[in-house]
Amino acid sequence: MQSRAKQAPDVITDVITGKRINLLDWKAANVRASIMLSLLMIALLVIIAYLLAQVTYPEYSLLFVGGAIIIAATQNMTAYWFGDQIALRGAAAQPANKDQHRYLINVTEAVAIGAGIPTPKIYVIDADAPNAFATGRNPEHSSIAVTTGLLALLDRQELEGVIAHELAHIKHFDVLLSSMLAATLGAILLLRDVAFRARYYGGVPRRRGRQGEGGGNAQAIMMLLLVVLLVLAPLMATLLKLAVSRKREFLADAAGAYITRNPEGLARALQKLRDYSGAPLKVSEGVEHMFFTSPKQRLNAANLFATHPPIEDRINRLQRM
Amino acid sequence: MASIIILGILVGIGLFAVTVYNRIVTLENRVGNAWSQIDVQLKRRNDLVPNLVETVKGYAAHEQGVFEEVAKSRQAMMNAGSVAESAQAANMMNGALGRLFAIAESYPQLKASENFKVLQEELSGIENKIAYARQFYNDSVLQFNNAIETVPGVLLAGPMNKKEQVFLEIPEVERSAPQVSFSS
Repeated sequence: MQSRAKQAPDVITDVITGKRINLLDWKAANVRASIMLSLLMIALLVIIAYLLAQVTYPEYSLLFVGGAIIIAATQNMTAYWFGDQIALRGAAAQPANKDQHRYLINVTEAVAIGAGIPTPKIYVIDADAPNAFATGRNPEHSSIAVTTGLLALLDRQELEGVIAHELAHIKHFDVLLSSMLAATLGAILLLRDVAFRARYYGGVPRRRGRQGEGGGNAQAIMMLLLVVLLVLAPLMATLLKLAVSRKREFLADAAGAYITRNPEGLARALQKLRDYSGAPLKVSEGVEHMFFTSPKQRLNAANLFATHPPIEDRINRLQRM
Repeated sequence: MASIIILGILVGIGLFAVTVYNRIVTLENRVGNAWSQIDVQLKRRNDLVPNLVETVKGYAAHEQGVFEEVAKSRQAMMNAGSVAESAQAANMMNGALGRLFAIAESYPQLKASENFKVLQEELSGIENKIAYARQFYNDSVLQFNNAIETVPGVLLAGPMNKKEQVFLEIPEVERSAPQVSFSS
């Protein structure tokens, strides 16, 4: 045991890519990425708002830019302060009760001790489909929710694996990063809709119709830039969000295996979830990425638009640990 | 100009030393905290034991040997002062409880009693938490030892009078015990 404890690695070597992942630096990387993304989002929104103002009502540029910043800030703050409540309510999660879910509570408390974080609030979702998710901006304000189907399907070691995976998301601030990404995407989509609606109502040509020669050219370039941004930005943001989400799932699997010292437990849980063939979990749009495995089966396959890596890949990596 | 550069370098080194110092202290505190996590669970287990013994006695009164063993390890637990003593008493308790549950196997009425079932889940939950708490303790010790044995920490460890901490050894048999004998 002593030798085993000494070997316990802070650094995991990804068996497939050969990359070394530092389990301690991952949180720092997430916090950095969250801040960078917030700044990037604000910059992008300011540019879009400015261009939008230039091709419609240039005299109100300041108003447009200010409005965009307020929208972005609101989206981000809502995600930061209320994201967990919204997610839990959206999934119809009920607080676990001490008599009925003693087993789940015991397992979660134990794994939280192993992960070195406070025990999160524990919720249960009454659904047959086996799944789980974690939410909360930091370990002190975090919750996990599991479905009754998951509790019925898994044995203790497997359940520990799933809980450890979710606690790893919490410990390393994955929730913060993903909710910032979701807020970015939301703000960009909102602006796009506003812009296209404005165009639809004919604001653009009418305002600019009697403008002189010189301005027309710059006007056209800005218009083009705006359209390109409005089409590309949501797509880029979506792909980025999904790529980050997939990467984080692998990391959480690795960290979950590290916390439980039992990759087989987590691998078996994934196999059981893969083989589950009952009714899928009903979740609201845009929260699939939060779950242990994607509630939409096709999103567990290899796919640029998948929120999760293929289950087979995840099992493979765990088995080779 | 040269003095400004030298001053800058000195300030840089000073700031770096503060960071290293803080890291060592943080990691040492984490080891202490990790130990208290184990301690909390051990105490909770100790509090549960009389209850459990009473319940088992109700069905298997003549198994005196085991009851005495449990009582002895519980006493040792309460008298333990140091980390090492506590760990040893905990190992003793693990063995005694393992035998108690093994005996319970041959009393179907006991096994069927609601009270016993609740105690069993509660106890195996605590066993599990102890196992995780020990693991976290060892993780924390590993990080602390690494910090004071590698550069740059090793340069400060001497002046700070920090010594390598000892890992908790967990007999392989006992670690797997809760999963074998307590699973319901």
